Amino acid sequence: MDIITTQPVSSGNSDVFDTLKGFITEVIGEEFMEDLDITPQSSFTKDLEMDSIEIVAFSEKVKTHFGEQIDFTGWLSSMDLDELIALNLDDIISYIQHARH
Amino acid sequence: MPVIKVNGLAIHMQELNPQGTLTVVLIHGMFSNLSVYYFNIAALLAQHFHVLMYDLRSHGLSEEVNSGYGLADMSDDFKGLLDYLHLPEVYVVGYSFGGLIALKSALRFPDRVKRLAIIDTPDPADQQTRDVINVYSREFLENYIANYTDTTRFSMGKRQLEKNHRKYEFLFHQTTMKADMLRDQHFMEAENLGAIRHALLIYGKQSNCLHAAKKLQERLGDSTLQLLDGDHNIPIQQPDAVGSALVKYFIEKR
Repeated sequence: MDIITTQPVSSGNSDVFDTLKGFITEVIGEEFMEDLDITPQSSFTKDLEMDSIEIVAFSEKVKTHFGEQIDFTGWLSSMDLDELIALNLDDIISYIQHARH
Repeated sequence: MPVIKVNGLAIHMQELNPQGTLTVVLIHGMFSNLSVYYFNIAALLAQHFHVLMYDLRSHGLSEEVNSGYGLADMSDDFKGLLDYLHLPEVYVVGYSFGGLIALKSALRFPDRVKRLAIIDTPDPADQQTRDVINVYSREFLENYIANYTDTTRFSMGKRQLEKNHRKYEFLFHQTTMKADMLRDQHFMEAENLGAIRHALLIYGKQSNCLHAAKKLQERLGDSTLQLLDGDHNIPIQQPDAVGSALVKYFIEKR
């Protein structure tokens, strides 16, 4: 059961980064994380080798955790393929921080 | 994760704009998943409609199962989804093999399918897909990826290669998929497609499925064919054009 917990506005980028990293681990599996050096600049498709259905699963976790009010799904689903290929963790951290302020 | 039980199976679904009064259901093709729509096409439709996508049995994040890949079982899953969500009537879009599920559903449940759009659906009489199942091997997959990543644009590393290989090995060797597909090979001739009042047909100008569009035009009660630049991968190559054509069709025919 997923529990929606809206984070306090004061939580910093590193907290969000750690949370997102945890979601990526859940989606692709702990055993594959050892080979990955995840940074805010890591791109989902190239560096993390995530395919589009894994990005959908990741998105679901972000939506559940940060609350429906940030419309993360609407933002992500409106991306074209070029934007999706270029998408990195920093883009998502920025979006979440802006949407919550 | 939005996973619901449909006909005893755990089916992964995604919704956009759940407040929309009219619903569009998007059905993906064989060996694909709902993400073929999720990025772009679904978002365009969600500006006007409630959009519902689901992963077919054993595809994407839905439960793996050994049987039930015929059009009758697949259209039962479609109806089960509508029943679960209490949707009396919907617009339906089917891409590739998903178009056959959409057609079968429209024939079996005419009061549930209000409008129908088909994207680059093949004629199941074609040997192509079954041939792929026959010749499939890891080498085949590696060769396919090497040649087609320019159209799908996603690079595939070791983990993805293993994941895809495992999925194909399962579907091709541990399920009834091939036998089920064979049973439906005369679908376009055997079924009374003329009972479907109207459908929008969207095909790639360079698609190897184009002859199926001609056959559908002859067999359906009425249809509109829209050709877009591209091949069988038009939802990936032309998501804006495909999404806009669907929006226009469903709004005009509302």
